[in-house]
Amino acid sequence: MWLTSKLKQVLMVIKPGVVTLKYPFEPRPVPKDFRGQPSWDHHKCVGCGGCAAHCPARTILIRDVCQDLRIMLYDGSRCTYCGRCADVCPEGAITMTEQFELATNDRNDITVNMELFMLTCQRCGRCYNMETTNMIDKMGLRGFRYDNLEVRAVIQKATEHFDEKLLEESDRYKRPQK
Amino acid sequence: MLTIEDVKKQLKDKYQSDIRNFEHPYGTRLFVDVDRSRIRDISNDIIRMGGRYLVSVGYDNIARDKTLGLVHTFSLDAEDMFICLRTSAPVDNPEFDSITPDIPNAGWSEREYIDLLGMKFTGHPKPKRLILADDWPEGLYPLRKEVPWNMMPPAAENVAYQLDDAPEGCTTIPIGPFHPTLHEPEHFAVYVDGETIKGCDYRGFMVHRGLEKLCQTQLTYNEVPFIAERICGICGSVHATSYSQALELAAGITISRRAEYIRTIMLEIERIHSHLLWLGVAGHLIGFDTVFMQAWRVRERIMWFGEKLTGNRKTYGMIVAGGVRRDISPELADELLAVLKTIEKELVTIHKAIAGDGSIHRRTKGVGCITTEETKLWSLVGPVARARGVDIDTRRDHPYAAYDDMTFDVPVVDSCDVWGTVVVRILETFEAIKIIRQAVEKMPAGPIMTEFSEEIEPLRHSISAVEAPRGEVVHYLITGEENRPERWRVRAPTYPNLQGVPAMLLNNQFADFPIIVGSIDPCFSCTDRVMKVDVRSGTAVRVSGSDLEKISRAKKFAGR
Ligand code: SF4
Ligand code: SF4
Repeated sequence: MWLTSKLKQVLMVIKPGVVTLKYPFEPRPVPKDFRGQPSWDHHKCVGCGGCAAHCPARTILIRDVCQDLRIMLYDGSRCTYCGRCADVCPEGAITMTEQFELATNDRNDITVNMELFMLTCQRCGRCYNMETTNMIDKMGLRGFRYDNLEVRAVIQKATEHFDEKLLEESDRYKRPQK
Repeated sequence: MLTIEDVKKQLKDKYQSDIRNFEHPYGTRLFVDVDRSRIRDISNDIIRMGGRYLVSVGYDNIARDKTLGLVHTFSLDAEDMFICLRTSAPVDNPEFDSITPDIPNAGWSEREYIDLLGMKFTGHPKPKRLILADDWPEGLYPLRKEVPWNMMPPAAENVAYQLDDAPEGCTTIPIGPFHPTLHEPEHFAVYVDGETIKGCDYRGFMVHRGLEKLCQTQLTYNEVPFIAERICGICGSVHATSYSQALELAAGITISRRAEYIRTIMLEIERIHSHLLWLGVAGHLIGFDTVFMQAWRVRERIMWFGEKLTGNRKTYGMIVAGGVRRDISPELADELLAVLKTIEKELVTIHKAIAGDGSIHRRTKGVGCITTEETKLWSLVGPVARARGVDIDTRRDHPYAAYDDMTFDVPVVDSCDVWGTVVVRILETFEAIKIIRQAVEKMPAGPIMTEFSEEIEPLRHSISAVEAPRGEVVHYLITGEENRPERWRVRAPTYPNLQGVPAMLLNNQFADFPIIVGSIDPCFSCTDRVMKVDVRSGTAVRVSGSDLEKISRAKKFAGR
């Protein structure tokens, strides 16, 4: 019993042989719909903020520095590569690339900054209409946004009109301590 | 067979005005509002009716009526019924009768709310700190709404968890927080008499990440599935499914049948790779690395398939409330069937090669024994329970997704030891293959996402359970006002199973400790979820990589 089972084990091991891949010495192509690092096409982006509102990792930040200038920042160090941003973007501005070798000791290597000149929407100042009837995907923060890019913090406040005071206040954001 | 009406009648007859209200909005779920003074008696009655304790949920209702709410949840497996006993206490006197003396598994849930909400439980046998870090300030209850989600109290020094006293004549052996055979941080103090284990105390929750609070305050409904998925690195879809089902139930949405089939396939894919992973780890824990290597080699196939289908080899991100994100094309379905065929063949080979191996028998048979009665008393779940003669499986008892269309067996053995767990898990892998084949064959056409145009009503309660590879996962949800949950409670299978480990360890050999703990397939991080933790107790000294290398070199050569 013992011997036959050992023999079977030897066969089981010999038959497949060595299966370890030579990665990283040989490249390892990824499958077609792989979810790697997201990449933004600034020609297409309209600055609606949909991706930021639906990013579960809250790693896309938006800061309106004045009426016409919106800064968007994607900090890859916290990205989970879920691809949700690409799903919800109404303009198809985001693609999930094949890039996955992203280890770095400087997070600026995987940070993307976009400065967008915004037209003022007659209705709300800033607009987001994902053209979805799905209530569950309703956007939480609409209008002007004041995230603190320095400490990468989402400020849970948005206003209908640009508010300089909030902008200043958001600069002093700190984590609460007792 | 009890029906919901029977349960209602029995309770009403016995407790009359102490039962305030019944609610059963979704068929198989019964919510009962009871007076707080009778909570212990009523809980015991539910157990007598054949109920199995699941988890307790505490929540902050201070803003509404100055109370703290508490829900004890039970499952009547034979009747496909969930019973949730809801009660509350004023915040200035949040005292409840502890149900732990009768239902030992409630011990952790109650301790959790002592820590997080400041509740008090009279008669609790061990009201020690469970979740919060040792240096978390007294009297600050992080799950209360007044505490901001990102609060970081300053670290304190010279605080430590007081372990239980060792029994007379025993020596304490500390295991963890970092230990080579257990891959996540946890601390066991094992009390041994010679080589024999006489007891143990557990201090875990070191990777307690506060995600329930995070989701209740920051995220919106459809972001939570992605966080839920990250509760566990192995069975992520399970949590996302369970959460989504609870939400869909509360919102009154029926999702498309195709989406339910795809969910079923995802859950079973996860079961296959998780069981193979565990088989490998179990082999590794008893020093049988051939099993480890081969099981993981076979497993790799299904990982690659997952990557092709979902875009990632794990943490699939497939399941959101309302359906699934990607469809399975006919080509992929064919490929899946081919992958399953290879896996089935290889698994038979592995099974044959190890079934007769004496070493695996000697290391697992008669190890980690507890009786069927004890297993039921501790409300253990999953393969751990099924290896001990308890015939429960959520897929069959409370069918969800497309499981009502599937035929499969639930393997149950009564050897009551670790060997039983090995057998159950291998057999279940074959059953999972069977289920996927049926699902692929029967899958109806249709959309994969169902949209819902109405806002979700706040303050609706719902509960959903899903059978994860390592046992049953329970999610309890209270809907909120701001497009996010008001309260979301997750119970991972390790939560009850880990509480049963001291019973399994008792009178075993110390050398068997890793495999006994390993046999429940512990997922410490899943268990640790909720709330936030500041782990930086004491002063932090930065040690650079090269310093560490120097220190370890010096240590290594010091002995020569
Ligand atoms: S991939 Fe996911 S985590 Fe990363 S930026 Fe997009 S939405 Fe956020
Ligand atoms: S969702 Fe698309 S269009 Fe809107 S801000 Fe993001 S990238 Fe730009």
